Amino acid sequence: MVIIVAPKSKESKQKIFKDNFWKTKGFKVSIGDITGKTTKKESKISEEPSLPLGPTTKPNLTDLRSWDMKLLSRYEPFYAPFCDMCCLCTYGKCDLTAGKKGACGINIQAQQARTVLLACCIGSAAHSGHARHLLEYLTKKYGDDLPIDLGMNIDIEAPIMRVVLGKKPETLGDLKEALDYIEEQMVHLLSACHTGQEGSSIDFESKALHAGLMDNVGMEIGDIAQIVALNMPKGDEDAPLVELGMGTIDRNKPVILCIGHNVIPGSGIIDYVENEELEDEVEVCGICCAALDITRYNKSAKVIGPISKQLKFVRSGVADVIVVDEQCVRTDILEEANKNNAVVLATTDKICLGLPDLTKEDTDKIVAQLVKGDLNGALILDPDKVGEVATRVAMNIAEDRENLKILPDIDEITEMAKECTECGWCVRSCPNSQPMMDAVVAAGKGDYSKFIELYNFDVCYSCGRCEQNCERDLPLMSMLAKVGEHYVKDEKYNVRAGRGPIQDIEIRRVGAPIVLGDIPGVIAFVGCTNYPEGGEDVAKMAKEFLERNYIVVTSGCGSMTIGEYRDEDGKTLYEKYSGDFEAKGLVNVGSCVSNAHIPGACIKIANIFAKKTLEGNFEEIADYILNRVGACGVAWGAYSQKAVAIATGVNRWGIPVVLGPHGSKYRRLFLGRTDKEETWEINDLRIGEVVKGEPAPEHLLYAAENREEATVMIAKLCIRPNDTSKGRQLKLNHYIDLHRKYFGVIPDDVHKFVRVEKDIPIIYKRDIMEILKEKGWKPRRIPQEPSLTQLDGDLNE
Amino acid sequence: MSERIIPWQPTVIAGPKQALLVTPETAKMMIKKAKRPLMIVGPSAAEEPLIKYATEISEKWKLPIVTTGDAFKAFNERGIETKPYGIVEIINLLKDPDWNGVKDEGQHDLVIFIGCIYYIASQGLSTLKHFAPKLRTLTLCKYFHSNADASFPNMKDAEWLNYLEKMKMD
Repeated sequence: MVIIVAPKSKESKQKIFKDNFWKTKGFKVSIGDITGKTTKKESKISEEPSLPLGPTTKPNLTDLRSWDMKLLSRYEPFYAPFCDMCCLCTYGKCDLTAGKKGACGINIQAQQARTVLLACCIGSAAHSGHARHLLEYLTKKYGDDLPIDLGMNIDIEAPIMRVVLGKKPETLGDLKEALDYIEEQMVHLLSACHTGQEGSSIDFESKALHAGLMDNVGMEIGDIAQIVALNMPKGDEDAPLVELGMGTIDRNKPVILCIGHNVIPGSGIIDYVENEELEDEVEVCGICCAALDITRYNKSAKVIGPISKQLKFVRSGVADVIVVDEQCVRTDILEEANKNNAVVLATTDKICLGLPDLTKEDTDKIVAQLVKGDLNGALILDPDKVGEVATRVAMNIAEDRENLKILPDIDEITEMAKECTECGWCVRSCPNSQPMMDAVVAAGKGDYSKFIELYNFDVCYSCGRCEQNCERDLPLMSMLAKVGEHYVKDEKYNVRAGRGPIQDIEIRRVGAPIVLGDIPGVIAFVGCTNYPEGGEDVAKMAKEFLERNYIVVTSGCGSMTIGEYRDEDGKTLYEKYSGDFEAKGLVNVGSCVSNAHIPGACIKIANIFAKKTLEGNFEEIADYILNRVGACGVAWGAYSQKAVAIATGVNRWGIPVVLGPHGSKYRRLFLGRTDKEETWEINDLRIGEVVKGEPAPEHLLYAAENREEATVMIAKLCIRPNDTSKGRQLKLNHYIDLHRKYFGVIPDDVHKFVRVEKDIPIIYKRDIMEILKEKGWKPRRIPQEPSLTQLDGDLNE
Repeated sequence: MSERIIPWQPTVIAGPKQALLVTPETAKMMIKKAKRPLMIVGPSAAEEPLIKYATEISEKWKLPIVTTGDAFKAFNERGIETKPYGIVEIINLLKDPDWNGVKDEGQHDLVIFIGCIYYIASQGLSTLKHFAPKLRTLTLCKYFHSNADASFPNMKDAEWLNYLEKMKMD
């Protein structure tokens, strides 16, 4: 039975699906068509999926190698060694410079690829370890049988798991099977890094791509588990705006600060505060993804900001109790907290900080010890106990710490600054060579303007390396924090709470415009703070593409950074743009683990719009995304191994990523060569012929030197072979327009993206026709079904 | 003196092979010896006075210019011909012995850097150090680049501008 269903208007969508009609009637829905009817609810974890399984369910390390080789032959790895040596075993150190091999026989390419694989394994393990924590805790609390139900408008709940595992998880307990699978794969991947295992750089890269894919699965498990169990927003485009910024904190109240990524300890605090009706008495706030996730749990929690706020805020002394869970927590957090008598609670087995394990200790006794100062912190692995201890301790010590929250006289900073010897090592040790010395010298003369320039938009992201190299031991980060607090009191912004997945109906609405090119692209700003010139660059890029009708998606620290920017009207971008997944939508999916929903949306386009089977069908789905879905990731300040894993994972799905200049330290990029025309040939499945292609997308992993270069590259990387001429006109129009804005001229390579005259944007027609003539351009056929499959050179075909 | 040859960002030290510290005289010798030299100018040199120095040095030694980042715009507005590439794109081409160079006359044998962001330039120089053994690299920045074959030392502005002034002369 096939019934064509007309696209629904946005206004009607909520009503249509309010009663969960499709699920209750057992219909399978695809591209607005009812393609069949199931006779019973699908069995647990769908042992018998409705569509035929693809060839690669639960792929092992080599099952997708053939696809990887297709990607890697077009986008060859580009290595920029960060270190010339290998220091991993006692054969070494081995110098691998310029052709030398190590004692084990490894060369510099393989060593770089091995290091990338290691980084991907670390990043992937961080997410899957996080997911394991969540799952064990949540299944214990809510039971294995808690249904995975993401609401009325989401029937394809776990697109990544469906593709990779060939199954759809029905309950919380089902997610354990997925975790078991990725944990097994991770052991093998890590094993390949051992001395005397893999020796080929290209196979290390294939394994890194596999580790990235495992990371994507792990993130999806983690976020789905917390969404369904903790009732976080389920694809809600109208998720609330929550408070963001240091200025939102009432310093007269006890302050509990959560740092990290795991929501469970934070949820324990919020539950305790609510149960005791202390909401008006205590401030609960967070830094990094823990902040985003506690606001998804309860919108009254506050977000201090991204990871770049960590040292500034801790040094400010405002937090009475600092609760750390996992990932991206400063490893010297206890030392920093001790400086102003804040109490630290470590709450997961990943970060114990040498603190005594008081998990089984009597709560009253723990509180008494911490309040009296007998202990400066504790390891407590019971989230409910964390909630009570954190709250009671904060309420008890806040008053005594009152004097620690008061700014010192600004003259004190001037006096300290006068001690500067102008040796310049603060600048040389700064990852971005920011002018800290100039700021200190000026402060010594009573001028704080240069400190404020460093403070604003986290131009200085307070890593603290400058302090380590100051020959006068000046507390530069404290001076920055104090000046910032003194002069920048209005840090009050907002961020839309993470909405989680994209709704099926949204995909149904935008799938065709994205694939055909009418929506010029989907751009995802993800990753952590390590911005070359401050976070304003990220917000400006987001604004640029929002104004140009792109869909802008964001997550993690990137989503907070975007929220810290106000436009010329004084509004944050979240106030200005809706949270819908549609043109001009600014979609915050949530925390790091929510990144899974970004490739998830692309996968759903392949399924809902193009009827591609999901289950076990990785290569066909990735091939579809690479050739037809104009999506591009941006990790402008990417910082951690998790970011490497995320980027590598989405690369395997065929989604290109642009990195900031620090991204070159990842050691490896995937770059295309437009001068090698043979690498762009594609198979047009419609006619069954290999035809000339185009460099679309030109690169798979690219590092840009500055925002201007990145902006133009992002627009270019949204071009896909499948664009209709109308869509291509739109995409080229933005690419040319941005190139003219930032480079002053029409790009020199525009002819490579013109297939037929109809592709040329009307406004630039005359200029481009001249370029085409000069380049000897000839029209070529637009492929109907561009694909990299069934080309020569497939290893496993 | 030692501070002049520790990489400007000290953590850039990658291994035993370190750049040779050069004076303008040695740098000019390297250019004179090269058959197909290329100058790569980054966005940090897209303003005065560096844009003028870069232009005059390229004119003096007949160096084709590749601009990275968005530096092309500033040069283009001054009527100076350059070819824009992303820094990772041009490095990727330079490590390929079969690439025919920006003027389609053959791969370059010397690349002179100025004005690229320090740490990404350092990464690019590392690529060339390892994977372009026949290519020499020279940096004219005021920061010592240990991954280059030859580099100016770390300098204060006045000394550096004096070095650049000398690069314009025979």
